[in-house]
Amino acid sequence: MEVVILFAMVISLMLIGVPIAVSLGMSSIIFLLVLSETSLGSIAQTLFAAMAGHYTLLAIPFFILASAFMSTGGVARRIIRFSIALVGHLPGGLAIAGVFACMLFAALSGSSPATVVAIGSIVIVGMREVGYTKDFAAGVIAVAGTLGILIPPSIVMVVYASATDVSVGRMFLAGVIPGLLAGFMLMLTIYIIARVRNLPKGDWQGWGEVRRSGIEAGWGLFLIVIILGGIYGGIFTPTEAAAVAAVYAFFIATFVYRDMGPLHVSGGGRNLTLLEKPKALLTVFFHRDTRDTLFEAGKLTVTLMFIIANALILKHVLTDEQIPQQISAAMLDAGFGAVMFLVIVNVILLIGGQFMEPSGLLVIVAPLVFPIAIELGIDPIHLGIIMVVNMEIGMITPPVGLNLFVTSGVANMPMMSVVRAALPFLAVLFVFLIMVTYIPIISTWLPTMMMGPEIITK
Amino acid sequence: MSQYEPKGPLGRVVQEFEETAIALILGAMTIITFINVVLRYGFGTGLIWGLEVVTFLFAWLVLFGVSYAVKVTAHLGVDAVINLFDAGPRKILAMIAGVVCIIYAIMLLKGGWDYWAPFAGLDATTGLGGKDSIWRWIPIGFENSRDQAWYAVIDIPMPEWLRFIEPVMNEGEAYEKLPRFIPYAILPIGMALLLFRFIQATLRVVSGEQTSLIVSHEAEDDVEAVKHMNAGD
Repeated sequence: MEVVILFAMVISLMLIGVPIAVSLGMSSIIFLLVLSETSLGSIAQTLFAAMAGHYTLLAIPFFILASAFMSTGGVARRIIRFSIALVGHLPGGLAIAGVFACMLFAALSGSSPATVVAIGSIVIVGMREVGYTKDFAAGVIAVAGTLGILIPPSIVMVVYASATDVSVGRMFLAGVIPGLLAGFMLMLTIYIIARVRNLPKGDWQGWGEVRRSGIEAGWGLFLIVIILGGIYGGIFTPTEAAAVAAVYAFFIATFVYRDMGPLHVSGGGRNLTLLEKPKALLTVFFHRDTRDTLFEAGKLTVTLMFIIANALILKHVLTDEQIPQQISAAMLDAGFGAVMFLVIVNVILLIGGQFMEPSGLLVIVAPLVFPIAIELGIDPIHLGIIMVVNMEIGMITPPVGLNLFVTSGVANMPMMSVVRAALPFLAVLFVFLIMVTYIPIISTWLPTMMMGPEIITK
Repeated sequence: MSQYEPKGPLGRVVQEFEETAIALILGAMTIITFINVVLRYGFGTGLIWGLEVVTFLFAWLVLFGVSYAVKVTAHLGVDAVINLFDAGPRKILAMIAGVVCIIYAIMLLKGGWDYWAPFAGLDATTGLGGKDSIWRWIPIGFENSRDQAWYAVIDIPMPEWLRFIEPVMNEGEAYEKLPRFIPYAILPIGMALLLFRFIQATLRVVSGEQTSLIVSHEAEDDVEAVKHMNAGD
């Protein structure tokens, strides 16, 4: 009963426009004041320890920073050029290239709305120029943009790993095959639609263009090699990998791509080389662009971590009151098995994912369902991937999916048209969700092969 | 959401200070972590205190930054429902939300103070109705807390130039490590700033300068920036 009141309070506060973080924190504090003798001092300590005591969560600011350096317009443009060179000549080529570019960009950035903005703003314009309808273009991008949280590195996965004490490395690996599969399914759908509707295809520009654009984009894409290679090679912890990635991204953005920083020449002119302006090596640390990027990443970290820190207070309440155990007992008594449980998780996340920022939602739902899942014998990594895919779909499910909003803004068209345009691809993702939910091996095969079977501690 | 514009010279200085502080803290965290990786592989050594400093900086970043995020309306929320209402009811809802936020900040300010004060040799507050009253979040006075100013952190050594605080804080005893009250000070400071900004934001809602306390996703500004590219059909 208490749990119903608690969640009703969280949701009603959120719906009247209280920031998510405060809704979570406030409801939990009221609960602790009424039901326990917890002092406010220890609640404040929980808030402090959310940052100072969670080594895993420390990876989040560094991932955000790395993607902030990589999210400048130039990187998105290079990735799109490479994608077009590679798949642009197929029927529906530009749309397929858009999906491919979203997949690549997702590997640099951990956020779905950011992917839609960076890739969508350029690709939608390009697609309209060669004769696609705006609706088709927007639908493709809205759906492909959700891959941002499934393809590693993903902030949502870091949050899941931290909330449930599974390994970040395993979660990242587990996302690889589902991410590629989802992308492939979307591209195949576009290919079929293109064949049926006779959509435009581009010209094959030759292997030279693939190589040239590949090298250009490669500087940025090497980031994913550093992160995944570093973690699985046992060189870095995920947190260190993220910090190294951030430093790498900084050097690439300012000294190789030169879209920002002291070597950048604004307004069409040719950028300077380091030889022409060697003092840039020093001035770059004080350059306004560097400060601004650090600040933007810092701001995003603050808002995300404030939600996560408050959700950790809520988690504290749930654990104290043994709520997951109660629900789990009730479900087992009612005779629900793993299949029914997963359906319920799917529904909760699909609804929640429409309204809420995915990492905040995850940090609330994960501690609630995780113990139940373990009890029912569901693999923790598999559960994590199911949750991530669910939230992806939540982001594009009408009426209020977040990515639909972002796309309607980027494409400058009404929300309902985006919804209609995204529907066929949404259906594809639903098929994908069912596959991921009921075929665990899609998620667990790669991590088990690379890192050995996992040890589940109850 | 439109960008927040600071008012007057003081507003601009404060804005610049807040943004630079956020940038510097994140930059320091990244560089310290990076240097530690380099030291480990390049020289087989490392900064023992590195990790602890970074985690404290992380807490500073977030607890300092939350008040800034209130000021520029960057906190994430759900606007799907409030958008269904007309301006009038929406303003009332936003005002209620503002009051909830203010109470939240008061509670955490009291909590932050109570947790930090004994580390600084100060007294925690007492709450209305005693330890199990649900009104204990309302501070009514000070209790006589045990002085815990000798508590120190685990790894960070005491900087020499800070030794002048020892007579005042620790009865002349030397600190071996950094005393705890320094990193934890951000808790009451950050929460006091948060309370201040929530009061300001609520007043702005009342006066009609601002319509809500939230944004629905982190990329709202970026969307506005690229919207023109797809204008027209």
